[in-house]
Amino acid sequence: MISIPAGATANQASTLSLSQNLVNTITQTETNINQTLTEIDCSLASGFEGFGFRPQDNGNFTPGQFGGGSVLPGNFTPGQFGGGMDIPGQFGGGAFSARGGSTPMNQSLYDDIVGISDVAAVVPMLQVTEGTNTTMEMFGRTFTRMVPDYEIMGLPLDSTALSTYPILPTNITSGRNLLSGETGVVLLSENNSAFFKAGVGDTVTILDHTFLVVGVHGSSGMEDRQTLYMSLSDAQSITNNTGYVTSLQVFASDSASVTSISSVISALHPELQVTTSQQRLTQLEAMRTNYETALANSEATVAQTQSVAFEEVGVAVAATSLIVLFLMLYTVRERTKEIGTLKAIGFSNGNVMSQFMLEGVLLSLFAGVVGIVIAAVAAPTLSGLLLPAASQVGITTNLGRGLVGTNSAATAAAISLTPELVLIALGASVLLGALGSLYPAWRASRTRPAEAMKYE
Amino acid sequence: MSETVLKLENLSRSYDLGKRKVPALQNVNLQVNKGEFVAIMGPSGSGKTTMLNVLGCLDKPTEGRVLLDGVDVTQMPEKELNKIRSSKIGFVFQTFNLLPYLNARENVELPMECNGTPKNERSKKAKELLGMVNLSGREEHRPQKLSAGEQQRVAIARALANDPAIILADEPTGNLDAKNKQEIVKLLANLNLTRGTTIIMVTHDIHVASHTERMLLLSDGKITKEKQGLHSVKKRKMCPSCHKAVTPSDKVCPWCQKELEQKV
Repeated sequence: MISIPAGATANQASTLSLSQNLVNTITQTETNINQTLTEIDCSLASGFEGFGFRPQDNGNFTPGQFGGGSVLPGNFTPGQFGGGMDIPGQFGGGAFSARGGSTPMNQSLYDDIVGISDVAAVVPMLQVTEGTNTTMEMFGRTFTRMVPDYEIMGLPLDSTALSTYPILPTNITSGRNLLSGETGVVLLSENNSAFFKAGVGDTVTILDHTFLVVGVHGSSGMEDRQTLYMSLSDAQSITNNTGYVTSLQVFASDSASVTSISSVISALHPELQVTTSQQRLTQLEAMRTNYETALANSEATVAQTQSVAFEEVGVAVAATSLIVLFLMLYTVRERTKEIGTLKAIGFSNGNVMSQFMLEGVLLSLFAGVVGIVIAAVAAPTLSGLLLPAASQVGITTNLGRGLVGTNSAATAAAISLTPELVLIALGASVLLGALGSLYPAWRASRTRPAEAMKYE
Repeated sequence: MSETVLKLENLSRSYDLGKRKVPALQNVNLQVNKGEFVAIMGPSGSGKTTMLNVLGCLDKPTEGRVLLDGVDVTQMPEKELNKIRSSKIGFVFQTFNLLPYLNARENVELPMECNGTPKNERSKKAKELLGMVNLSGREEHRPQKLSAGEQQRVAIARALANDPAIILADEPTGNLDAKNKQEIVKLLANLNLTRGTTIIMVTHDIHVASHTERMLLLSDGKITKEKQGLHSVKKRKMCPSCHKAVTPSDKVCPWCQKELEQKV
């Protein structure tokens, strides 16, 4: 018996659960964005999503360049951003990758942005992902990808900024949030806590530096599951990014001015990619549509695999029954004399028939056991040959900033032999054996006893 | 006269070969008494095997009746014929027809399985019968480990398993060498003598046939001749009281109900 349908089903189930997960994340993100409609994303990156920029390739971010003040990295003073910072808005780079890059900032760029009317504040942030490169081999191909361990988010821990802008997570599950002016402390996510095996009050070592865990935050969707928060200066120093940031958050004074601010920024600095929250929402929705199409395609692939698998099983069932049929017919013909003898010494038609049915069933059952042993050994290899390549089924969706849906259901494509499947296979063997030997057994029972008298 | 076991009345059997009708048996009448040892002789194609098939309920006559123990078996449905074959008839074949994957004892047990004899009883009786055909100690041997003569003795033991009213043997010595032939004929004759088993044996070997009591010559589907065999002399036994013929196995005279002295 071939166990394809079960494998395909498992695959589909895995794909569906992945889908559910991503849809949840999108919904969550949409909610977040809707709450902060004044957000503007601004990035030097040419793409909305993609890889970060190496610090050395881009300009320096010098704190001193901000508003003429002597601002040290991380020592962000809200006053320097002028104006009332009452309405939060976000202004960030699109980098999300192995190593976050930096957005080069200079005095004129900063001044240009700060000088735009209705800009409330600009907040620098450094986001760096640390991970391990993993190589995996699948169906003869080698894939290398980075599995993120954690993501460092450096924020200026300033009392006014913290109290005014939602830059820190709000969902603290244990301990406390970061406080203004703190250094050497870290706020872990629940995933980080498990990764470092550390809780509130413990110390963790991040890139050879020791930090005290003051709190743990719960994640909202996929966005900050891996993110640990610390002060901007700590983040810059441990990642050797002193003087660099990966994003700037621009806070507009009110949501009505978001569009005008973004168009002014675009006009002044065409090299920047400016995205408002509204645009991001639109993009996200477009992505969701894409994603749903991808999911539908994936489901179609799985369904097709399944139907092909069922066809294969159907052919196998028919073939098995026919083989049993012909084998048993041959046996009956071969043993005509023996059957005649049995009938001559008093065996009834029923006796003979059940005898041959039993024989067919046992034969088939034995074949079933052999088949299961072969399947147990060869199924992983066979699944690679019989099922479509894993990449067709897996879904890779990059949701851009702060959102990554890079995942794959590929591993689920492997066929596994479950006890349930073994029982089904054995049951099917018995059934097919019985089916195939029905006619031969009936033929045997009709054998005339006088056949016993014949010479060979 | 002694009790009749088998009676053929105007028995005819013909085969359809295309449009031709080939008569194999024509109007045969025969009566076989209990305890008789009968040989049916005749050249090939004379109808010997057809006659044996009809006698053994393996085949149905086109005309006439076969009465086995007074019961007309020609009109019986197949289902009841199974029982008749199992309980009243024991077959011995020219090619032994033992089941190759069963040992001697299991082969002898087969007919007893048909009528539901309990297992331990079957095994006990099978050993007893194998002892009677001088195969003690070889019960667990498979047919291929036995000589032709030994295989035929197993087959004879099997034929006796359900204490049948009659044993039908189709050329039982046909596949045997001279020495084994002699042994099998002696064994059959001895069974007939000591147990009073009724035996009808088809053979074309005059030497084998001469060991029986009655020799019937079949040619062109008819019984053309009947002779007495050597066995009849050995066998003849009279009731000392009523002087009627009795079978040696009878302990009580079937005619006058007097107890008989056991000589053999």
